This record gives sequence, C-alpha cells and structure tokens, in this order.
Amino acid sequence: MSDVTTKELRIVGFLCNWCSYGGADTAGVARAKQPTDLRIIRVPCSGRVDPLFIVRALFLGADGVLVSGCHPRDCHYSTGNFYARRRLEVLKQFLPILGIDSRRFEYTWVSASEGQRWQHVVTTFTEQIHSLGAAPKFMDVEPKEFKLGARVSTPILPLGAGQDQPLKELKTAIKEALPKLEVVIGWQQGRDPLHAVPLFMRKAEDVDKLIWGPCNVHNVATYLREYQGHKVGLVLKACDARSVIELLQENLASREDLTLFSLPCQGTFDYGRVEQCIGRYTQLSDVQFTQSAATVMVDGTSKTLPYAEYMQSKCLRCTSRLPKLVDISFGTDPTEDAKDARESAESLPPELALVESLSLEERMAFWRASMERCIRCGACRNSCPMCICRDHCISDTRDPHFMTQADTFLEKLFFQVIHALHLAGRCTECGECQRSCPLGIPILALRQKLNRIISELFAGYQAGSDPSQVPPLLCYAVEEPKIKEREW
Amino acid sequence: MSAYSYLTAQEIPTLVERLAPHFEQVLVPTEQKGVKESVIFAPWTKGSPISLAKATVPPKAAVFPKCETLFSYKIEKDTQDAPKLTLNPEIYAPKTLIFAARPCDALGLNILDRPFLQSHYVDPYYAAKRDKLCVVTLTCPSGCENCFCHWVGIGPAATQGADIVLTAIKSGYVAQAMTQKGQELLEKCAFKDGTDKVPEVNQARKAAWESLKPAPDLSQIHSTLAQSFADLDFWTQETQACLSCGACTYFCPTCYCFTITDEGDAQSPQGGQRLRSQDNCMAQLYTREASGHNPRPNKALRMRNRVTHKYMTYKETWGAFACSGCGRCIQHCPVGLDIRAILLAAIARTTNTPDMQGGK
Amino acid sequence: MVTPAPTTNPSRPKMQGNPYVPMPATVKEVIQETPVIKTIRVVLDDENARTNFHFEPGQVGQVSVFGVGEATFVIASPPTETNYLQFSVMRAGEVTSAIHKLNVGDKVGVRAPLGNFFPYTSWQGKNVFFIGGGIGMAPIRTILLHLLAHKQDYGTISLLYGTRTPNDMSYKYELEDWLNREDLNCNLCIDTAAPNWPHRVGLIPNVLKELAPSPKNTVAVLCGPPIMIRFTIQALQELGFAPEAIVTTLERRMKCGLGICGRCNIGGSYVCVDGPVYTLKQLQSLPNEL
Repeated sequence: MSDVTTKELRIVGFLCNWCSYGGADTAGVARAKQPTDLRIIRVPCSGRVDPLFIVRALFLGADGVLVSGCHPRDCHYSTGNFYARRRLEVLKQFLPILGIDSRRFEYTWVSASEGQRWQHVVTTFTEQIHSLGAAPKFMDVEPKEFKLGARVSTPILPLGAGQDQPLKELKTAIKEALPKLEVVIGWQQGRDPLHAVPLFMRKAEDVDKLIWGPCNVHNVATYLREYQGHKVGLVLKACDARSVIELLQENLASREDLTLFSLPCQGTFDYGRVEQCIGRYTQLSDVQFTQSAATVMVDGTSKTLPYAEYMQSKCLRCTSRLPKLVDISFGTDPTEDAKDARESAESLPPELALVESLSLEERMAFWRASMERCIRCGACRNSCPMCICRDHCISDTRDPHFMTQADTFLEKLFFQVIHALHLAGRCTECGECQRSCPLGIPILALRQKLNRIISELFAGYQAGSDPSQVPPLLCYAVEEPKIKEREW
Repeated sequence: MSAYSYLTAQEIPTLVERLAPHFEQVLVPTEQKGVKESVIFAPWTKGSPISLAKATVPPKAAVFPKCETLFSYKIEKDTQDAPKLTLNPEIYAPKTLIFAARPCDALGLNILDRPFLQSHYVDPYYAAKRDKLCVVTLTCPSGCENCFCHWVGIGPAATQGADIVLTAIKSGYVAQAMTQKGQELLEKCAFKDGTDKVPEVNQARKAAWESLKPAPDLSQIHSTLAQSFADLDFWTQETQACLSCGACTYFCPTCYCFTITDEGDAQSPQGGQRLRSQDNCMAQLYTREASGHNPRPNKALRMRNRVTHKYMTYKETWGAFACSGCGRCIQHCPVGLDIRAILLAAIARTTNTPDMQGGK
Repeated sequence: MVTPAPTTNPSRPKMQGNPYVPMPATVKEVIQETPVIKTIRVVLDDENARTNFHFEPGQVGQVSVFGVGEATFVIASPPTETNYLQFSVMRAGEVTSAIHKLNVGDKVGVRAPLGNFFPYTSWQGKNVFFIGGGIGMAPIRTILLHLLAHKQDYGTISLLYGTRTPNDMSYKYELEDWLNREDLNCNLCIDTAAPNWPHRVGLIPNVLKELAPSPKNTVAVLCGPPIMIRFTIQALQELGFAPEAIVTTLERRMKCGLGICGRCNIGGSYVCVDGPVYTLKQLQSLPNEL
C-alpha cells in the first residue's frame, strides 16, 4: 500500500553543509552516477540533526534516512559530529523497539573532497533500502494487544511494610531541620489507608503526618524543579534519590539547597496489580500491614496482598535500600548481602521483555493498540522528575511545530518518543511515567530500552549514580570503543 | 407495554445485539490489556466482549471528541488570478448508542449540554452528535472510596440523562425506559416484562444508597468558594502537590475546555484542517496571551479556576454543579489530589474564620 | 449599514450560521502604523455576507490566517464604514506575526461580530473622555469615530492617547485632523521627552491627572495594556469618577469566541460574550482575576 508508485523509494538525507553536502556536490560535478531516491536536506552540522527529525521522517513515511557529516575530528565546529555520533548510534539501536528496522537509518562521514566515497555511500544505502523494500506503515498494521509475561518472582532483597523502620527518629530529625528549610516533602495518608499522597511539611505538626511504607509510591524529586533555588528537604526512597543525583549532575539542582532524608525502603505497591485485587471503585476498610502482606476489607470481603506479588517490579529487582546520596538516614542497608543477585537485577523488566519478544511488525501492532487508548492527559510527562522544560515542552509549541493536535496513535507514539529520547542517558527508571498513566500503557519499555542501550555503549553508565558524572549524551569521546563506524 | 424489561445476566450481549441495528455506532465498555486494568468505551462489533465495569475514561468523546475537524481549508494561488480560498465544514455525527455508562457519566452529558446548546450560540458539532445519541446506563451497586456522586445531588441509582437504565438484581438485570426514545428501543428488543421485578430494583437501588458514607452539605458551596476566592494562601496550600498535568480534566465527564488549532499548510496540495481538541485548563499555556501576560500564571490560580468553575461559576450561571461526582479526577491523579478535600477545606476555612469573609 | 437610532438601545449583532466557520475575506489594504503595529483592511468576499454584516462599536472579530490560526481583535473601523473592516494588530505571537506578513489580495477569514459593545446610548447627553494607551487605541478609535459621527447627541468629546515614543503612535494620518477638529479635545502624550515633540510628556495616569477632566456628567472610556489600565483606573477614581462611569475593554486569550471554550473567563463572566466591554462597577463584582 505504498504511496510511491515508481521504483523509487523515499529516502531522506540530512547532510552537513561543510563536508557531506560538499561531497555530494563533488560527486555531482564529477557526474558520478548515483541513485535518485535521496532527498537532501542541508543542515549546518550533523550535530544539528535532532534524532526526532529522523523518527518524524520515518513515521511520516520515509523508507530510509541517512545522516552524513564531516569525519570525526574534522568537524567544522570541532565537536558537533562527536555529539552526533553518540546520539545517532543510540537512536539507531532504539528504532527496533518501535518496530522500525534499524537498517532503515544509517549515519556516515563523507568529506567535501570525497565525491567517490559519497557515490559509494549513497549507492550502498539506497541498495540497502531497496533490499528492505518500502517501509511498512503503522497505519497499515492492525492493532494487537499482548499480555505482559510473568515477572521475576523472588525479590533480591526481602520486601516488607517498613513499619518497623525508625520513622520516629526520622520525624525528630526532620523537625530539627525544619527551621532552616522552606519545606520538607514526604508522604501522608491519602483517601484511604491503602493510598498515600505527597506531604509538604512546613510546620512541626505537619511532620507528624509523615508515613513510611509500601504506599509511598510517588517520586517526590519531581517537585524539585518547582523549588529550584529554595532550601528544601526531601524524604527519599533509594530509587528516588537517583533522580536527585541526576538533577545534580545536570546542574538543575544545587546540593547546598537540599537536605535529603531517608529510611530503608522495603518496596512500594504496583497499584495496577493492587487494583486487580481490590477493584477500582470499591470501599475499603481495616487495612493492616504485616511483614509479608497487607490485608484489607474490600466491600466487606477480606483480601490479602502479598508484597512479592503486589509490589512494583522495580522493587523486586532493587539491590539497595538506602540512597547513594543522603544527609540524614536511619536503619541499615543490607546491600552487601545482595551482591550475588546482580544477575537477577539485570534480567529484563516485564514491559521490555514483552516488547523484545515480539517481531518488528508485532511491535508496531503493539504500539498501535497501546497508543490508541492514550488520551494525551500528560500525566506521564508531568510526573517525570527529569522533564524539566515544564511549560516549554516542544510537544506544545507551535513554532517549531513538532506535533499536531490530531488524535492519532502515531502522534501519541511520537510524543512518547520525544519523552524517551529527551530522557536518553538521563532517565533513572523510577517508573513514574508508567505508574501515572491512568490507562496502564507500558510506556516504560521505551525508557528501559534506552537505558540498556546507553549502559551497553557507555561502560555500564547508569543515570543518577554519581553527582560528578557527566551524562553520556552531554559529552563525547574522540574514540568510541563501543560504537562501530560504518565501513562503507 | 411496560417501561420495564427483564433480562438475565447472560442476555446482556443479546440486549446490545438487539439495540445495535438501530445505531451506526455502539460504544461499550471494553477492557484493555496493559500494566493496569483499564476500561474504555470502544466501538462494539458482534461478538466483542462487553465489560460492565465503570469505564476509566468517561464517554463524553461521543459528543465532544478528543479531537474533531471543524472544517478543512485550502488556498490555491495562481500567479495570474486572485487566490482561491475553499472552506469545507465537516460535521460528523453518526447515530450512537452509549451502552452501560454509569449515572455520573450520563449526568456529565447533561452538564455539557448547557454550555454547548443553551449558551449564546448553539454548537453545531456538538448538537448534531447529541441529537443522535442514546444512552443506556447501569446503576452502581454500591459507593466507593473515590466517587462522590451523592455529594453533588445525584446518587448511585440516578437516572438523569439516560434513555434506558439498567439495574442489577439477584437474578439478572431490569431495563427501565426513561424516555420515549428508550421506550421505543426497549419495545423493539422484546425482552420479558420486568414490572414484577420493580420491588427488587428498588431494593437494589436502596442498598446502593445505604452503602454510601454521609455526604457534606454542598448547598452553599458556591458562596463558600466565593469567600475563599481571593485567599491565595488557601489555594496555594491546597494545590501544593499538583503536577499541572491535566489528567483530572481529560478524565472528567464534565470538563469541556477546548482549543482550536490549524494543522496543515493552506497552500499545500492537500490543504489543512482546523481542529478542535479537548484542552486542559491546568496548563500554563492555556491562558497565556501572545504578549506574555497570563491571568492564571500559577497552578494555584488554575486549580482555583477549575474548582470554582465546577462548584461556583457554573452553578451561578446554570443552577447546577459542573461535577457529577464520578471521582475519576481523584482516581487518576498521579499524586492523588482530592477535589473533595479542597471543598471540605474551603468549608472549614469559612466556618473557622468567619471574620475573614471576603478573603484578605 | 444600519446606524442605530439614538434613542433605543441597539440589540447585539451576532454571528450567523455555523459560528466556527469564518467568512472568507480579502486583504484590501495594509498600513504600517508603527514598527510593530500594522492595520489591515479586509473586505468580505461574499456579497450577501457583506450586505448583512452589522456590528456595534467595541465588538470584536476573530481573524484567521489559514494554516496558522486565529486571534481576536477589535473591529477598529466605525460601523459607519461599510467598505471594509479594519483590524490593528501588534506583532506578538504566531498569528499576529502571520498577519504582519499578509499582502494586499491575500485571503483571510473573519468570524465577527463577537462580544458586546460600548453602551453609547447611555452616554447620550454626557461628556465622554477617551483614554487609549498603545495598541489600546484601536477599540477607542471605533467608538470615537462613531460618537463624532453622532456629535449632536453628546457633550464634549475628549481624547488622551499615549504611547511610549512618537514612533509608536498609530493612526498618524488621522491625528493631525483629530488635533484640529473643533468637536474633539485631542491630547497626545509620550512616556519620555523626545525631540520635536510638541505635545505632552508623561505616563498616561500622570498626564490624565494634569488634564484633570471633571467627573461631572462625564464617562471615561479607556483601553490599553493591563498595567496602564490598572493605574489609569486609580487616577480616574482619584479624580472622582464613579465605578459605573469608567468603561474599559479587556483582552484575553480566546479560542472559540462563543462563550464555551473556557479560556477568557473572569470567574463566570466570559470576556468573549459578556465582554469585552465592562464598566469598572461590573469588574468589581467579578472575581479579581485580571
């Protein structure tokens, strides 16, 4: 059902002004024979090519996209292509998760004098695209739902209700620190004892409302962007602290403004699973937490929620109970005992495992089915601690006009791609985006995939581990040991 | 024929099958796979499964779609002649049945009717769809933690806005025709007469009412909110946790804010469309003017607008709340912000500090 | 075009037909008023629409540049002008930038008339003092010209028009005439002194206090940026103007213009249908949300 009726396919080329565009010109002047499928867009530098341009082109029906810039070390702006190389390699490895064959996108280096090389590159790439044929279109794929598989069943660290943790000591410490702080953010009980909501402690009596336990799902680091430049305290779970560290890495928060509190976290609920047990619109009473399960009366019937079954999958794979960065904490971290369990921690999370188990075409069907029910509420974006553009999100701007208001799954999937790519190398996998999605769309899979690509490419890099580290897409290396340059 | 029909639980799909031929589109609650259970109103085809659970997303899109084309435009420019402008309005209004909505969903449609149909202008896009809409509701068997329909004047067994009301009884369901349209449809479906089941229906509805926790008196809430309006500290305090995402508005059966945008170059061969899309008053961009001036620049003011619209200004204009108490804003808020808590805090604020009336 | 009989309160003209679909129109004239303000004069394409089009001074229109979007502007020509509709547009956002790029002969869309209008019949027999600041002169122009056309029904008509610099003055081609008119007391001012400026210097509220118009039997009508409105209203109140004798016209971000979409509301009052013209007294009864 291709729109292209001739033999030609649609290939978009982003060529840097200084080298590859010159190279193409040289090839043209030399009257080198070239395929005619390529449509060239001249850009100042390969570093100017936002990976989103490439995804947009592929979503809108391009059969292939080629980016070509100056050879590394030869960039007109000295480092543009070093950055580009990292971004483009990450994108190339990311495309398959969306259901797009990674061979439909290539990036190469061609200098202005290399007319022959340009001829070779464009011929090889065009042949590659022709051998793949016209790109399958999302519009032509029937939506299909797939069910998540089983997840790791034994947690690495024992889960619990955290009820025996030294909360009293923590409260005292917060009260002591409060006079020097504008606010300390933690959790309090929400509409019922099985739900918590963020708590903003400004006065000593507010601190008494603080709770600790499996209902504290929210990542309160999300509020940091609102309190930039203010003296604030945060009560953190170990995983939340990674977001704080990442913000420090990016100079989006300053260490001296922050006072970080913590207790050992023994896991938090996956409310998607909890709701399957207790229903979405029910009356609850008599909530009890024991060390192995929570019990609750639901519309008069007793229900049990064993933690191993009802906590978030990230908690099952968690290897540290206390944050890597903390000012005031109580209790101990049994991380040392868990060293052997690393392998289990590295196993694929269920969302990603599901998508990876599918063929490319099934992935397109999967994303189509998933995104069709998205109603673009924006909860995923606004609950993300790393989404720091806030009111200036490029998905909202009209100039540049990245996204339309049209209610199509492709636009909505494109929004997820924007979010995921803007988090590449920055996402701490707290899972707030997916937790916040009222429709349970497994959008975390995209972030999980990117994190694994980044970790593989950049020496096991994990966002939010060390405040002094530079996020990998904000820097470059002259030689990239893990990035294989195109040989053609 | 009586207004009541009786059918067994197994006959629910039969009911849909018999109703379907009278419509171009039948929207039924349909369960979705994913990382949490969600139910949306999806087009029904013979054999597709029907969930009777309360839907995650209200059915308002049937009359007020997520996004719809107002008209398409195209400008053809010839160097010689004057440019030619073509505008093609498109009003898409299939005959639609919403099946197994809840009373709060049906009331939501009534709430939307007023601004779209009874204001200064009749909205032709809404009117066309509304005119061809038929609603079958299912009364709720009990109350729950996050819905509060009885606070706003309806309840789990309310019938407003419905053409046919289904109520579960022990041995199945009773369908009650509420309108002429509903009566005619039910007659065509030819189920057994359910008049003898009416006592059971009433008992089920009474049981639903009895399961509710007591509701506060909201009869004066509009003046309570008016008194709290200028108290910015109050609104700042109540909205601290808000992330400004807007899930509360998109999942609300009564929110009707929208935006209008042009998508597509007028002079391109295919032209473009002017779209109307549901929008979100929680967003900073929503009210920002081109000059940069923003009358509602922070989340406290935006939430104030949302809350006062629902319980104060809409009530002053139309004599009813713009809230059907469905609780989805509470259920789906990523941080569990509870609109009920804001109302209760406003009431507490005015009762505790009578000398502060009129704000500060 | 119908000129309303002076003694009866005219009913409000409204949009006809599908209120979301603009009337096609063609740009007839483009006037560069200041570096950032352009005036466009447009003519409705459809002859029927042209003859049936009526509006009252103060009503607004939504101007569409197809492919970019719509924005709301006051119809700055007087109702007596039947040859064209005039909009004065300051370049600020996406749509206004697109309007600034329009040439004569280009196609636009107009949804009008929207909103209420100046309650000029209630001003009959009174003096009217107009105050326009910057682009806020546009709505003042329509009602000023309307009143001058019906001069006999009103007392003294005065105008104070202020901008930042002489360069920011719109309608320069008319100002000379206004200054010389017998039936108009025209005052111009700029914020800070500039060479060869023969008129007043100072911020509008201060110049207003210098002019000190008597509140007796006088209505003050003002429009301008929010900050100017705020301080000018204060100055008027200091001069003794009662809240019901102060009339302003507001600007808000609008989309539908029909009182539905929920952008322009101040509490329960929708500026697009209940406004844009309000007396201070009306504004005081609304929640403070400017």
